[in-house]
Amino acid sequence: MTLQIGVPVFILAIWWAWSNSSSNPFFPPLSEILVRFRELWLFDKFLSDIVPSLSNLVIGFAIAVLLGVILGLVFALVPVLEELLSPLIHFYRAVPSIAIIPVFISLMGFGNEVRLLVIILAAFPPTWIATMDGIKAVEPQLHEVAKVFRITNAERVFGMFLPSALPQIFTGLQASLQFSFVVMIATEMLGSSVGIGAMTILAQQSFASVDMWAGIVLLGVIGFLSNYLLGRLRARVLSWYDKSKALQLAA
Amino acid sequence: MSNVSSRKVALGAAGLFMAVLAWYLIALGPMRESPLPAPTQVFSAMIAMVRDLAFWESLGITMLMAAKGFAWALLVGVLLGMAIGWFGLVGKALSFVVEFLKPIPPIVIMPLAILVLGPTQRMGEFLVFYGCLLPILYQTAAGVRETDPVAIQTSRSYGVGTGEILGRVVLPSASAFIATAIRTAIPISLIVSVVAGLLGGGPGLGSEIQRALSANETADLYGLVLILGAVGLLLQLLSGGIESKVLSWHPSYRKLVH
Repeated sequence: MTLQIGVPVFILAIWWAWSNSSSNPFFPPLSEILVRFRELWLFDKFLSDIVPSLSNLVIGFAIAVLLGVILGLVFALVPVLEELLSPLIHFYRAVPSIAIIPVFISLMGFGNEVRLLVIILAAFPPTWIATMDGIKAVEPQLHEVAKVFRITNAERVFGMFLPSALPQIFTGLQASLQFSFVVMIATEMLGSSVGIGAMTILAQQSFASVDMWAGIVLLGVIGFLSNYLLGRLRARVLSWYDKSKALQLAA
Repeated sequence: MSNVSSRKVALGAAGLFMAVLAWYLIALGPMRESPLPAPTQVFSAMIAMVRDLAFWESLGITMLMAAKGFAWALLVGVLLGMAIGWFGLVGKALSFVVEFLKPIPPIVIMPLAILVLGPTQRMGEFLVFYGCLLPILYQTAAGVRETDPVAIQTSRSYGVGTGEILGRVVLPSASAFIATAIRTAIPISLIVSVVAGLLGGGPGLGSEIQRALSANETADLYGLVLILGAVGLLLQLLSGGIESKVLSWHPSYRKLVH
């Protein structure tokens, strides 16, 4: 434990000490970066840049997840849809997610709705596929039990299939979150003046390396925190699953 | 692909055909006034592209950036991952760093990479390296930890040295995990290599897309994106084929025989 905490602290200390006397314009002193971080983000640019970025991230991710789960459900329950569209799905997933940004910008311009749309379109496939696979992997006995007890369709879906697919769905959510985050930054870096990504790339282009570092640190923290929060949510929602797995392993 | 039924192929082809038809009708009908190109325009743009040597040069640069970054990531990732999985001390020391960096995608550090390396091929290679390194490292370490302890102890009692155990027991056993990592890392390498051109001003197909976008040549733009999808698909098929060939001996790839 001391080692786990000690090494990162040591790395930060080295960075601090080494960069303190640094005259390399690309690697300014860490102390300066932190001061600039506070000046910029707490709270000068908070409303103008952080809030738009985060709201795109959160709203885009939420809609993508909803869309992914619904589509996954429909595709799992109506298998002919998957057969019909599977080449298209494979192809769509093979297109680098960032490459769909210019496609929509060329059609609809640089507005914020376009950014949100692109985040959703890039982020929903992992959740979609994971939900579909998860529901298809539901034990066949569960279907039979549902039939025997004449459980209604709605109860089957929400009470049995979705919960049993939840572990897979969460794997999909993690990937969807990652896509949302990357595409959020990418839409800001591609012809925009608002948002953390735009601030960071503009700082880079004007050689304001301290500002750029402040942006990178903030983006890193957001990436880490959003992933961490989703992990906590997963641990809470899926505690029954993790426990039963641990029991299985012990047995 | 012998297990794919003809019904599946027929349905898939029908789906593709309907999608292209829908695109055609939308482009000529309700969205005639918009910049949306018709599929025929995009296909002829693609044909013009593949006849042009400059296109192949861009594609080559993009693939080269992806391949070089990927190769370095594979080398460093497998070595570091084995060290992390094998030596508990190294694993503990680096766990926090790895856990912190794992959710931070290459695009976050791209501005720094451009600043230091400039909008060059090197910059793209570095970003690909960073993007592929962590998944490979993480999976390799997990694979090493999953190695059957009995196999390791057996080799020990036969007097096999640590280096040989790592190379002949642990690495083959972890190879299925490494293959999974490679399967995730290959699409990443292509994406990041395109991003380096599209957003970072680096060379290759990414910058071609950027050029088509700013020149408002939508047929070229759509053609490039479709070609990228085809390249991605090809890479996946290729890596899947190589994987099942190379690892056919591994327990997790063997077919059950009853």
